[in-house]
Formats: sequence, C-alpha cells, structure tokens
Amino acid sequence: MNLLLSDDYLLQDYPENITNTIRSGHTTCLRFNRRGDYLASGRVDGTVVVWDIETMGVARKLRGHRAAITSLSWSRCGRYLLSACQGWRAVLWDMADGKRYREVRFRAPIYTAELHPWNHHQFVASIFEQAPCLVDIAEPIDVKHILPSAMKRANTDADAATKEKQAKEDAKQQTTASIYTITGDHILAGTNKGKLNIIDVNTHEIIWSEKICSSVVTTLKLTGSGRDLLVNSQDRIIRTFNVPNLSAEDLDPDTIQVPLEHKFQDVVNRLSWNHVTFSATGEYVAASTYNNHELYIWERGHGSLVRMLEGPKEEQGVIEWHPNRALLAACGMETGRIYIWSVTSPQKWSALAPDFSEVEENVEYIEREDEFDIHPQEEITKRRLDAEDEDIDVLTLEPQSKGYDDDMDGTAFRIPVLFNLGESDSEEEFVAVSTGTVRRRSLGEGGEGEAAQTEEKAVVGGKRPTAGKTGRGRKR
Amino acid sequence: MAELDTSVADVPVTAPPPKRRKVHQEDSTESTPRYDTPDAKEGQDGKDKDDKSTLRVSIREQQRESPSASRSPSPKRRDNYYSSDHDTSRISRSITRSPVSGDPTPFRTPAADAGVDVASEPPQPRQPTKPNFKPRLILGGHRKPISQVRISPDGRWIASASADGTIKIWEASTGRHIETLVGHMAGVSAVAWSPDSKTLASGSDDKAIRFWDRVTGQPARSRPLLGHHNYVYCLAFSPKGNILASGSYDEAVFLWDVRAGRLMRSLPAHSDPVSGIDFSRDGTLVVSCSTDGLTRIWDTSTGQCLRTMVHEDNPPVTSVCFAPNGRYLLAFSMDSCIRLWDYVSGQVKKTYQGHTNAGFSIGGCFSVVDGKAYVTAASEDGDIVLWDIKTKEIVQRIEKAHDGVCFWVDLHGDTMVSCGQDGKIKVFRHRGPVEECSMAAEAATSEVPNGTGDSTDRAAPEAMDVDQDQSRSISPLKTDAEIKNEES
Repeated sequence: MNLLLSDDYLLQDYPENITNTIRSGHTTCLRFNRRGDYLASGRVDGTVVVWDIETMGVARKLRGHRAAITSLSWSRCGRYLLSACQGWRAVLWDMADGKRYREVRFRAPIYTAELHPWNHHQFVASIFEQAPCLVDIAEPIDVKHILPSAMKRANTDADAATKEKQAKEDAKQQTTASIYTITGDHILAGTNKGKLNIIDVNTHEIIWSEKICSSVVTTLKLTGSGRDLLVNSQDRIIRTFNVPNLSAEDLDPDTIQVPLEHKFQDVVNRLSWNHVTFSATGEYVAASTYNNHELYIWERGHGSLVRMLEGPKEEQGVIEWHPNRALLAACGMETGRIYIWSVTSPQKWSALAPDFSEVEENVEYIEREDEFDIHPQEEITKRRLDAEDEDIDVLTLEPQSKGYDDDMDGTAFRIPVLFNLGESDSEEEFVAVSTGTVRRRSLGEGGEGEAAQTEEKAVVGGKRPTAGKTGRGRKR
Repeated sequence: MAELDTSVADVPVTAPPPKRRKVHQEDSTESTPRYDTPDAKEGQDGKDKDDKSTLRVSIREQQRESPSASRSPSPKRRDNYYSSDHDTSRISRSITRSPVSGDPTPFRTPAADAGVDVASEPPQPRQPTKPNFKPRLILGGHRKPISQVRISPDGRWIASASADGTIKIWEASTGRHIETLVGHMAGVSAVAWSPDSKTLASGSDDKAIRFWDRVTGQPARSRPLLGHHNYVYCLAFSPKGNILASGSYDEAVFLWDVRAGRLMRSLPAHSDPVSGIDFSRDGTLVVSCSTDGLTRIWDTSTGQCLRTMVHEDNPPVTSVCFAPNGRYLLAFSMDSCIRLWDYVSGQVKKTYQGHTNAGFSIGGCFSVVDGKAYVTAASEDGDIVLWDIKTKEIVQRIEKAHDGVCFWVDLHGDTMVSCGQDGKIKVFRHRGPVEECSMAAEAATSEVPNGTGDSTDRAAPEAMDVDQDQSRSISPLKTDAEIKNEES
C-alpha cells in the first residue's frame, strides 16, 4: 500500500548501501521465503535462525543440527523449512510450533537440499561423493530414490572396452547442485564435470544432458518465472541460460535446447565467485567474490556491470536477493554477520508539510480567478460539504497486481509471534551480540531476545572491544 | 505480575499535562464490581433514569422498525427520523421521553409489546437493511471511566482499559468477566489486541506498555516496554502481530519489535500529543494523528513520512483509523466532525456531522452491517451515532448509551461495544429485519438481562435463550480482595 504514496521506490531496483546488520552466531547460509517477510539463516553450530525482515529481529530458532548448515529451502506456504547440514542429515521444520516435522539421514554431508515447489513432502538432495536423491517424506519413514548423475548410454553396440571406459567416466560424474523447475516436474542438476542434467521427477531418468561449463557447478538458481537459469561454476564464469518450458505437453527430450544467454566474469582480476543470485525480477545478477570484499551486480539486458557494492571489510559468502524488493542479504565469511543491502530514499519534505510541494524548477504561480474572493464562512463550509458527493467504497480491495500478494487475505500461514525467544538463548550467544545490546539496554530491555540490529551508523561502533561487553554479559 | 518495574516510580513525576480523555473520578460509589441490571439500579435516582431512557429508546425504535408500525406511513419517514441532525434528535428524544415516562411499566410488560409486534404480519422484505443495534448487556466493574474498549479480532473477547489502572477482559457473547489485568500504576489509555487474539497490549499513564496473555491473564512479557517519556496514549498492532505502534504524550510514535520487546524506530511524529494510531491492512503504512491537527502517514519499513493531511481549520484530531480496504482514513476531530480522507490525493471525501466532540478524545470505527459499510462514533453527550458512508446520513443514533461522555465504540460483525465516563461497558447487537419480528416479543425482557427470568417463552430463537440463560448464571466479578491477592 505504501507504493500508492511513493514513487521513488521504483526508481532504483538494485540495492545501494547497507541498511542493517544482523547477527546471530556465525551465519553460513541464507534463504528468503517466497513472500519475502522471513529470512532463514543457517549457522556454523547447526542452529537455524529465522529472521523477521520487517523488524529485523529473530522470529524463531530451530535447534537440532549439530554441524554447519549448508542449505535451506522454504515450502511454498512458508510453513515448512528444509535445512541440510554437513552432519549428514536434513530436517524439515514446522514453523507453527518450531519442531522437527521430518528428519532424513544420509550417508555423507549434503551439498544442497531443495524442497519441491508445490509439495513439501518431497525434496531433492545432492550429496557429497554420492548419487543425488529424490526423497519422499509423505510418510514418517522416508523413501529415497537414487537419481543418476550421468546420461544413460544409447550405444548398445559399442564394444566392451568402450563401455568400460564410459562406465568409468560416468562414475566420476557427481551431482553438486540440484533444483526443481518451477512446476516441479523436472530437476535441474549440475555435476562436478560441468554438466547440466534435466531429470524427470516421475521416471527418475535423465532426459537431457549437456556440458555447459568446464568446471564444477556450484550454484543453480532460477528466476521467479522459472524461465531463466543462473549457473555459478568454479571456472570463474557466471552463466545465464534460457530454460524452455519443460512441462509442455509435446515435450520431446531430443529437441530440448537450453541456450546460453550471458557470461559474466571479471576478466581483469580473474575473480572467482562465491555465490550468485538473481534479482527479484531476474533483471539483475549479483555475485559475491572469492577473496575479495565486493559484491558485483550485473544488469541482464545488456550484460553490463552496473554496480560494485563495497562495504564491510570481509569476504562475503552466500548472498540472497529479496523475492520482491531491492534488498540483498549477504553473510560475511569471517564474522558470520548478515549484511542487509537496500535502497534508502530521502525523506520528501513536501510529505511533512502538505501546503508545500517540491518542484524541479521555478514555476510561475497563476492565481485562480476566485482565489482571494471573500465568502462567508458558512457558505464555504456548506459548499464544501455539498461537494462531497463522490461514491466512496471502503470495502472492496484493489486487485493485487503482484503474485506474491495472492495470499494477503489472511488465510496464509503466519509464523506465530513468540515472546519467550530470549529464554532460549545461551550465554555464549549473548556475548556474541555486538552493538545492538548497548542500544537495547538503554531502553531498559536487557536479556530478552538477541536480535542485534544496528543502524548503518552503529556499524562503525561495532569495532569496539567486545571484552567489555563480554564482561557485562556475564555479570547478569 | 509480582515484579512491578520500579523504574517508573523512580522517575520524578512532573506536573502532568492536562489530558483530554482522562476525567477525574466521578460518582463511582459502587466500588464492588458487579453485573449491572436495570432492576438492581431501581433504588438509585438520576442514573437509572438514563438507563431507562436507553431502554425506551430501544423499544421506541423497535416499534418504528417493526412492520406493525403502520403508523409510520413510509420508509421515507423512518429515514427522516434517523437522519435528523443532532439538534432535532435531541428534541425528538425529549419528546419521546415524556410520554413514555408517563407509562408506568413500559418494558416490564412484554406481552403488551409482543401483542402488538408479533401479531402483526411478517415483515415485508426491505431491501436496504439499516444498522439496528439494540442494547444487550451492561458490563460494570471498572471503578473509573473507561477510556477504550476493543473487541478481539476473533470477535470472542472484549478488552476494556480504564482510568482505574486495570484492564478487564470479558466474553463478548455472554458478558462474562474473564480477567482483570492489574499491573499498571496509573490509568490505562489504550488497549490493542494482537491479530491472533491471544495477546493484549496496554498503554498507560505510567509510560509503560505491557503485554498480557489473554489465556492466562498473566503478563506475556516480564518487563514492560519502556521508552516513552510521557503517557502512552494509543496503540496498534501490525496485521502480522510482529510490530506494535504506540503514540504518546511525548509527541513521538514508537514502533516496537513485539518479539524482542525492542524499540525498532522512533518517529518524531508530531508537535502535540499523539492521539491516535493505526496500521493499514497490509502493514506497510502507519497513520498517526495528533492534537496539533495533523494526520500523518508513515512507511513502516523506512520510518519516513509519506503524507501529511491537515484540514484548513486545523482542528485537533483525536483518533484515526484506516478503512477496511486501506484506501481511506477516518479522522475524528474536535470540531465535531469526522472526516474521511483519501490519503493518496490528500482530499477530504466525506465529512460526517451530528455527534458532539469538542473536548475529549473519543473514538469510533468503520462498521460493516449486512455487507454495507457505516461509520460509527461515540459522542460526548453519551450517544453512539452511525452514518451511512456514502450519503453521510445518520442511520442510527443510540441515545444516552452512557452517562456523560461515551469515549469509544468498537464493532465486530453484529456486535457493538461502547464505553464511557460512567465506567460501564455496553454491548449492542444488530438485529436484522427478519430477526426483528421474532425478537420483538422478548426484546423488552431480554435485551438487558434483568435477572428476573419472568420470560418463559421458549418460542424465541436459540440465540436469545443462550443470552438469557447465561445472563442468569453470570459469575460474580472479582472482589477487591482477590485483586489484591493477584497483585501480591
């Protein structure tokens, strides 16, 4: 609704500066939910923290993993969150009560675990040095379907030596990233040899495969429309592809084409990219850099670099673009802080004084014919009241233009508001809080919650020695 | 509740600025909270006359509304009756009062009324149903005037905030007293329900905002939210329940993170006490109003002012709320006008007049009756007034709902709740034209539970039975001793 009142929101659609820094432990992994009101963050110690983007405070803490979180995925309704960790297991959390809804154990650390876009009882996991799995968790006892990493060979007439060679090659293929297409009918999987596989969810077979880059595929991302694919690879090139409609009735696997659209790279510095993300609409591509502090933002229309975001003096790991706003979340590799990049529009002064309006240049004022006529007050009032003959509708809702508003009618799931978050915090975590603590205490609110929100200004003060704070934390 | 934050008490209490809504303690002789019935008040004078007049009004309206009122020649005349402006309605009341008071027992003889009403043929289908709120319950117990009363979003509970420093929770359907929340050290000016109806926030003259668990009646958070430098005067929860907006006499609007109890943002909002606050339905906008005459819209996420609205005459604005669809604002100002603003264009679209508002901070709301929207407001003469949104005509006036000022009205579905200077809460229920006829027979005895139980007519609809039965089995309210026990 605020869009009705402001126009400058739409002027710039990529973030410019850090508006918040939030911290809970050492964050390694981030994911926004579909509506963009919650941000899930996974920590090194295995705790999953759900942040409320509106308040920049902790909404839920989910404990159960014992190793660093590697992947997070929300269900469509926002009620379930799938987290996977290096400790060989994936947990589906129910946000309604913050409890484990399902837990699945694997035999190796998990690279990625992605929930089916429509069915929260199914997910696909790519596992370290093992075949990827399609996991059905409709029943409490999960069913794992092994997915192939290499295309089935059609050449049955090849000799034994070739076959052996091919089998060896195939065995080397390992899936390192896997995501669902937007309809959930297919899985896009990237391998350590730079191949992109399209796997049918029902038959569990690769229907199409192609080598798209020369090194390990580390990240796969789709836009909201599902028509564009973003691939990060260790060959220092970020690629975007156009994805055909794989759910078409007359899909012929032999005619599938996934054409390359853009290649983004830093040819001067030969940078490699930690993590990549599409903007809300897919108009921009953002990437965090390896061994470097900047975030790069390219514009996809022309494939040009539009912005390098410089801010915190540390390397950035996982980055996530908000699903509908010009807001970017990035987590620092050293401190584990979450930096929120966004746009700040200046206060319009005309909004504070309705008699004034802001004009670009001088305007000659033309007075109205009757502007200084004197009328009796009653007549003015009466005339004014008579003029109020408009038909007013206070009930009908204006149709929402954007898809993410389709559940604004209140029926959608909402994470309950908890009052006792502070009680679950351990001493160690409390010490880790930096500047936010100071500010909260000045309001007489110590010890409750641990949301360490700091305004941009406060970031400077964040370097103060933590020893003093540690002491204060222990005194309590 | 045991640990009260003493920091507030330590703050030197400077001479408080005069408050408009706060009125000094008046005739609260009945310190024991009890359930009010007209019969019980028989012995008292003056006061019960007004109560009776409420009842008379209801009866009179019933006769008007009932099809038997063939005396009223056309619906047009009814319109005229209702749409009469303030002065004429006063006259009409004084007129109706005298003949009715001549009648010894106008509402004790339901049979007589029933004979008239029920014997008549069923009502002709009238196409536009008007709000037809009839008094149902009177809830007594607060020892001082009640500043605000709110129905929970699920419609099941009523919360009332009083100058006596307590908040009481009532069951909306029966009027049963559920809980008295004690903890504030000064009068409570504002209450707000969380969207899930499980938590209640209260703002008080002790500068603190407290959260209460509706189920347990205990504070939902051990410490109150402190930060305002002066009286907390108005509160609103965001639609998701994660943000609480508070307006204070310190002229600022604060946005609080409800989970952490942390001050998220403080908006230097006004140059006078902030008198009203509300969230838009999507939570992106906050509106605040002040006695400096300004109504301002704020962006929740950035804290920036997006729009300021001020009427030419700059009258103090005492309360503000968003329309159900969020496109308009309703601003109550102290020139006895309620203005409907289109905040996008910054224009007044409608001005509703006919109530009195010159010295107190009174409130009201949008109401939807049978799918049609109305504006409902309290009035300083104790009336409750309902306007048609489009025509600006008064469609119902409940006269003398309260002795003295009626401070606040809230609606949920067919239930209306009002509170006032007399320390009473009144619950009204809308009766559609179909119900009307069958209700009429019992109306006189069952509108306000009188405990006599003389009506044994079981032909009445189920809902009415429930009302009666439960009204008889109302549990006594907590005594002072019990309240003290809670405090300690």
